[in-house]
Amino acid sequence: MRIDATHKGWAIATIGILAVATIGYLPYSLFYPGGPTGNTWPGLIYGVLGYAMMLFAGLLGARKKRPLWRIGRAKVWMRGHLWLGALSLPMILFHAGFAARGPLTFVMTILLVVVVLSGIVGAMLQHYLPARIMAEVPLETIYEQLPVVREQLREEAGAIVGRLCARPEFAAATASTYETGRVGVLEAGDEETVDLTEQERANLWHVFTTGIVPFLREPESKESPLANAIKARLYFEALRRQCPASVHEALNDLESICDEERQLTRQRRMYLILHSWLLVHVPLAVTLLVLGAIHAVVAIRY
Amino acid sequence: MKTIELTIDDRQVAVEEGTSVFDAARMNGISIPVLCHAQNERPIGVCRVCTVDCGDKVLQASCVRPAENGMKVYTASDKVKKHRRMILELLMSDHPSPCARQRVSGDCELETQAAAEGIVTPRFSKHVSRRGQDDSSLVISVDHEACILCDRCIRGCDEIRHNDVLGRRGKGYNAGIAFDLNRPMGTSSCVSCGECMVSCPTGALTNKSVIRTVLPGGDPVGVDELKQLPFFQKVSGTFLDLNKNAVIKRRFRAGDIICREGDYGSTAFYILEGKVEVYLQSMMKQKPGHAEGPGVIDRLARVFSPRRKPASATNNGTIPMDSVIDLTREKPVAELGEGDIFGEMTCMSLYPRSATVRAKTDCVMLEMLRNVLDVIQRNKTLRAELEKNYRKRALEDHLRTVPIFSGLSAEFIDHLAQRVELVRYTNGEVLCRQGEPATHFFLVRIGFVKMVEEHPGGDLVLAYQGKGGFFGEIGLLTRGTYAFTVTALDNVEVVRIAAEEFREMLDRFPDISHKLRTQAREREEHNKRHSAAVAAVSLDSFLKQGLMESNSLLVIDLEKCTRCDNCVKACSEAHDGVTRLVREGLRFDKFLIPTSCRHCRDPLCMIGCPVGSIRRRNSLETVIEDWCVGCGLCARNCPYGNITMQPVPDSGAQKASVTKRKATACDLCADLPEPSCVYACPHDAAHRVEPNTFFRSLISAAADDNIFVTPEDVEGRRH
Repeated sequence: MRIDATHKGWAIATIGILAVATIGYLPYSLFYPGGPTGNTWPGLIYGVLGYAMMLFAGLLGARKKRPLWRIGRAKVWMRGHLWLGALSLPMILFHAGFAARGPLTFVMTILLVVVVLSGIVGAMLQHYLPARIMAEVPLETIYEQLPVVREQLREEAGAIVGRLCARPEFAAATASTYETGRVGVLEAGDEETVDLTEQERANLWHVFTTGIVPFLREPESKESPLANAIKARLYFEALRRQCPASVHEALNDLESICDEERQLTRQRRMYLILHSWLLVHVPLAVTLLVLGAIHAVVAIRY
Repeated sequence: MKTIELTIDDRQVAVEEGTSVFDAARMNGISIPVLCHAQNERPIGVCRVCTVDCGDKVLQASCVRPAENGMKVYTASDKVKKHRRMILELLMSDHPSPCARQRVSGDCELETQAAAEGIVTPRFSKHVSRRGQDDSSLVISVDHEACILCDRCIRGCDEIRHNDVLGRRGKGYNAGIAFDLNRPMGTSSCVSCGECMVSCPTGALTNKSVIRTVLPGGDPVGVDELKQLPFFQKVSGTFLDLNKNAVIKRRFRAGDIICREGDYGSTAFYILEGKVEVYLQSMMKQKPGHAEGPGVIDRLARVFSPRRKPASATNNGTIPMDSVIDLTREKPVAELGEGDIFGEMTCMSLYPRSATVRAKTDCVMLEMLRNVLDVIQRNKTLRAELEKNYRKRALEDHLRTVPIFSGLSAEFIDHLAQRVELVRYTNGEVLCRQGEPATHFFLVRIGFVKMVEEHPGGDLVLAYQGKGGFFGEIGLLTRGTYAFTVTALDNVEVVRIAAEEFREMLDRFPDISHKLRTQAREREEHNKRHSAAVAAVSLDSFLKQGLMESNSLLVIDLEKCTRCDNCVKACSEAHDGVTRLVREGLRFDKFLIPTSCRHCRDPLCMIGCPVGSIRRRNSLETVIEDWCVGCGLCARNCPYGNITMQPVPDSGAQKASVTKRKATACDLCADLPEPSCVYACPHDAAHRVEPNTFFRSLISAAADDNIFVTPEDVEGRRH
């Protein structure tokens, strides 16, 4: 979620609560007999508040599972998740008096710090990355559709070169390829307008099979010059110089296919970065909530 | 077009060159019986029932015979009658009488015409060819034996609906209609749109009564009862039977509101009994001298924005509305009575209702869906009548409400209304072209137009105009040629004033002349500035994507969206697991315009729905009712690909739709307080917006003076 001016209210409330909690904590830590611990009344209040905030933050996942429930807009829940989740850390630290007095509490403290830090990292990623994806991947597609789009790009490239090189088995592109509407070179009958000698056809085919196809098959590999935008531009410029002008339009299309392929690779990487932190954040947060519940029961009962 | 004169049954008539004899007779109130020719289809002259004597060596089929200058036509001479009777007798000898249609709705055209000729028993022996029946379709029953090979169904399927399913098979007595390559109808590619049934003059294609059109409330009306009314006499009984409940009878008590100004409706009303009052709900605000003036902000806005004028400056003694009778300020209520129709303008233009209608006395009326009105209008005579009413009202209303004409006298407006034209254009049609001689002044009544300056390097979009806008004055006042090319962006209706009338107006009303000259000068200066700045890139993109057309546009802020797809999941959950939103589409600025219904101001998707299932209720959202037959026409018509055809589970005969697919589109989660996609977005990225307002700052380059007219501006002017 982008942290912008619309978060002002939440930010002020969070800082206010933190200030009140800190002001309460100072005399408590200085003057309370035995010092600040979790089993004193003020410590318990901090603990309950901190755990309640953690619980609210954790409920966001459940809220997302029930999108139709009219229990507050998801964006409100998300803002609460961010700010209250962050606030839970100082509250729990106040609860514990900044000390871990047993293995369970030590583990929980570490977990809490990691969860909050991973959350902050996640928030930062969600703040900056969407804008970068928008700017750097204008041909962005739905993540789950990436393999399909890549398959289409391969077919389309095959169709273009197949027509240029008079290889009908490649020229027959699927209907979905035509739907991309990329080029007129895919139109039937265009092969007659292509003015290539046998040698040029062979050269082009060689370039296609040894340069373009490997890149389109493994676009994530950095070995291909086509994986780099500058090198790719030089690669196609050289190719255009070697081919007659009548096929330049087709080569431009091939270049744009490679460019799209690079964009999709970038999209995939950014998408993974944008969401991979959740692999740390979510399981640890769930573990923390479970351990927190166990801790509460054990502490109160025994 | 050249006019020719001919004589039909000793009556001198004048028609345009190229008109058929059949149409020439029809336009002059002379009825010629016919079977193979439906007025909305291309004539082919196969049944020969419309045979007339044109003075040629042989009798001619009037539907395909062009009228000629000086021609003498006899439609009911003894020779013609004898010939026609013979044809009907021959057809009847091969017809299983009474056929299914005659049994159900009593309007088999062949049997009706035969009865009118007094043919009870043909002189020829009965010989019904054994071509069989086809009961494989769930919706339509096919009786090949009742088919008279008129080909109306084939033309309906191929030329009107473009489904290309129907054709001919066999020869001689075995000739018949065929689905695809002579497959049973149920297994063919037929989409059950019903056009063939509506076109069929006999009982060869009849309705199985499984599609349940449901116009809620009201009492059902029998086909027989409807056929008694002149308004429905020309409508196929099969169609009315198929669309049971598409016409319902409603009763209103005195004082009940029948329809409300501003509502999006898709029904028209025909008054059977009683009287209704037509008025504007906001009429009190429009009365001069009323105490309730605009608020402080409006007053300030008026000071700083000369475009916003109080209503008193825009009206000319009348209050604009759509009604048979104009509303005057002194008595701002019109009255309609028995036999009148209202609400048809909303059906025809797809724009919101422009007036409120209240029952003055206890009333009984028929409410009908748009598809019924469509079929009624296939009869050219009725259509012409409806059109005439519509044009009269539209012209007069519009001329009275255009702010630039506020200084015209009522007498001159009446004079002008007689001379101007109401012209319709479809998307992409050019209204006037840059550099061509300026012959007309245009006032936009409905829809949006794009004004483009053509340059050698490409076109520059100057602006677009909606209702209330005008153009053509630069050409008429200064250059002599049009200054820019104007193209329709949707279904556009303009009032077109010829140069002579325009000049007469300027001569008689110097104030208006001054205003228009100032306007033309400002507009030219603006165009120069605009061309120099070429700051219209975003506006161009805005127009190209048709965003101004939208009533409610789903936008996703790509700077906020984390691609979590919660919007899609929420949509899917709200609609039985089938999402009506695909998070992919064009971009405008930092926003993604996903594939989701835009609820267009001029919804092209509604045009032609054979069962009227895609419609608006009383709000802006376009809904697809449960009785959709899955023909896919709306999906094909939607220019943005926002309607998808989804398979529906086979849930038995009780389900209204019996076809395998159904059109689905965003319904704005009408049963929930807010669209689920927006409600479920945790990142505040998804919003439903009114694009002209939401993107105003981005497109303000073109909105900085009068050249950019949005509907809001027009509303501002009117109130």
